[in-house]
Amino acid sequence: MPLRILLPLKLNTHNTTMKRSITALSIVSFALLIMTGCKKDDNKVTTPTYDIPTTYNFANANYADATTRLGMYTEISNLMKNALTGTFDAVTAKAMLNNTGAPFANAAYNTSGLQLRDQFAPAFKQDALDFIDSLAKASAAYPTVASKGVAGVGASSANVASKYALTGAGFNYAQVFNKGLMGGLVTYQIVTTMDAVANQTIDNITIVNGETAMEHAWDMAFGYWGVPTDFPANKTNPKPVLWGSYTTQVDSGYKANKILMDAFLKGRAAISAKDKSTFVEQAKIIIAAFEKLHGAGALQEVKEAKESISDKILLNSRLSEMYGFVYSIKYNPKRVTTDAQYNTLLSGFPANFYDMTSTQLDALRDAIAAQYGFESVKDVL
Amino acid sequence: MRKFIYTALVAMAAFVLIQSCKKSGDGNTGDNSSGFDRKAMLTNISANIIIPAYTAFQADAVSLDAAVTAFVASPDADKLTTVQTAFKTTYQQWQATSVFEFGPAGQVSLRVNTNTYPTDVNQINANISSNTYNPTLLANLSAKGLPAMDYLLFGTGANNTAILAQYTTDSKAGNRKTYLAALAAELKSNASTVLSGWGSYQNTFVNAAGTDVGSSTGQLVNQLVYDYEILKNYEVGIPAGVQSMGNTFPTYVQAYYSKMSLQLAKLHLQAMQNIYLGKSGQTNGLGLDDYLVQTTKLPNTAKYANGSSVNDAITTQFATATSKLQTLTDPLADNISSNPGAVTAAYAELQKLTVLLKTDMTSSLSILITYGDNDGD
Repeated sequence: MPLRILLPLKLNTHNTTMKRSITALSIVSFALLIMTGCKKDDNKVTTPTYDIPTTYNFANANYADATTRLGMYTEISNLMKNALTGTFDAVTAKAMLNNTGAPFANAAYNTSGLQLRDQFAPAFKQDALDFIDSLAKASAAYPTVASKGVAGVGASSANVASKYALTGAGFNYAQVFNKGLMGGLVTYQIVTTMDAVANQTIDNITIVNGETAMEHAWDMAFGYWGVPTDFPANKTNPKPVLWGSYTTQVDSGYKANKILMDAFLKGRAAISAKDKSTFVEQAKIIIAAFEKLHGAGALQEVKEAKESISDKILLNSRLSEMYGFVYSIKYNPKRVTTDAQYNTLLSGFPANFYDMTSTQLDALRDAIAAQYGFESVKDVL
Repeated sequence: MRKFIYTALVAMAAFVLIQSCKKSGDGNTGDNSSGFDRKAMLTNISANIIIPAYTAFQADAVSLDAAVTAFVASPDADKLTTVQTAFKTTYQQWQATSVFEFGPAGQVSLRVNTNTYPTDVNQINANISSNTYNPTLLANLSAKGLPAMDYLLFGTGANNTAILAQYTTDSKAGNRKTYLAALAAELKSNASTVLSGWGSYQNTFVNAAGTDVGSSTGQLVNQLVYDYEILKNYEVGIPAGVQSMGNTFPTYVQAYYSKMSLQLAKLHLQAMQNIYLGKSGQTNGLGLDDYLVQTTKLPNTAKYANGSSVNDAITTQFATATSKLQTLTDPLADNISSNPGAVTAAYAELQKLTVLLKTDMTSSLSILITYGDNDGD
């Protein structure tokens, strides 16, 4: 059922027979005002009225290019699974980043004219190549078994079929790359778009290919999130990718699914209805959420690390995921986290993950929870 | 009348305000609609099962540490045998102690510090060679505790003569003695910390008598099921190859070197059954079985397959799983190599009990399982 924005009701204050009750009513209103005090009340009488759908089914919506790029990522991710048998092809992985030499199994990607790397945050353009090289180095050491100071491939003791290519410092660069891309591509693209919308530096008048530039940019941002149009009612088909998967994984402590879906729907409807104050507000909600998500993702990995605490190889892979979420905060161009705060968080990790202690892990959890406002749910996420 | 409306509205406003910033909570009372006295159950389990378990484990750890101290001071064959015997007693007692990973044990992560296996022989030997051992490193969890001592006391040579040489004539004998002593001292220290912690925690435990996530019943049931899954997976399933398409890992069993894996698994299962029954010695006090019976007496509660109650099903399955384990023999590792089918058959019965405990029992008692399964992602 579509929601409809309603104009505020006006109370009839001419009835003087119940003056005291009116006073009391205004006390109730006052209480309600305090409760809703965090909501901006920019609505003028001229506020447009329009429907907000419950699924992302806007008639002119188009984010196929974002979906294509997430598909390209999935092919790189599949290639990285070969690292476990020592045959990770770093050259092809890099060709996939640039879409050169028809590297993809899906031929449509090869001829799409799109590439991943030109959409990356500036700092991630080089980092991505370095992460791939680091993974290739660990992979090349196969069949050497990973241990402290020795790169190689190790198995989980709980599930011997689960293997991980680790550097001598215990880093699983497949995971660092994966979380890096979540920050350096997805967060970067979404936050950049939302900032442009909030500042209204994108055209919302001229129609090109059925959409204004702002509508299209907003659609692309939604596409990068990587969820179905009827998310979160539908969490399976098509399978959520990257942040689309993690917003559900952290949902026990941070209701990002609903926050983001509501904002994406409301904002897109507001853009088409030229309701500036509403789309600016929704863009700001999305910017804030994508910074908090890195903290939530890292805390989710703390929890998983604790669940595998005595499983040395798996633990290091969890720590790599956690590290990746924290490291990739830097790709967010509008982050509130200062450089000093960022460096403090990163310095909580030991240089070698084999040297991690329980105390350090708890301290990292507490620092991340404090930074992103998750103290009350730090063990739940 | 007007005054009444006025007052009521002010009260309502205040209520709305208070409610808007209050978290919903659950009163920790001992009673619920089932009429079962959870507090009495927690009193029985803590006084007659948990504290006696920690008391015995701590005493065993003290004896083991004393035996190790005497052995490393002047190693000989008799003292080695004494240490080995003390070690076995401690490992046996641990089977009845490992479940209670909340409160004092949770604070020191007693379970992973005491019993992470398979032990990492490379890590142990690296620590011995470098003569450095940092007990706080998570990477050392698989190089400490009972499994590491299992290797040091039973696995460093083909027989006791060869093992004794590792502590006398071997070039690393001095470092090895230091390492063994450090592990025994750490075990004793952890056991003592947890036992003394229960001195004041018992009162907390008995009085957190609700069923919400932080309640004692909630924690006890969660840890019972969690520890049960360790028994099923780590003591039997993973070594028998159930997670690796039949590729077996016989050396992954608990107590591989001292060759008492099956004996320990049976003790472990018996201990869990005792917690479930609230049984200590010959006395059968209030346990989860009584709670289940009381809860499922209420109208409209589900009956398990073929009309039996959840409690009957669990009781029967404990017996079936035990009898399946009794068809196996120690060393379990050899059983896995020679007759993996019998071991996976026992695993199948253990798995049935998992479902009963984790799904049927928890839903009947309205207890939420709060630990996650690793999804491998």
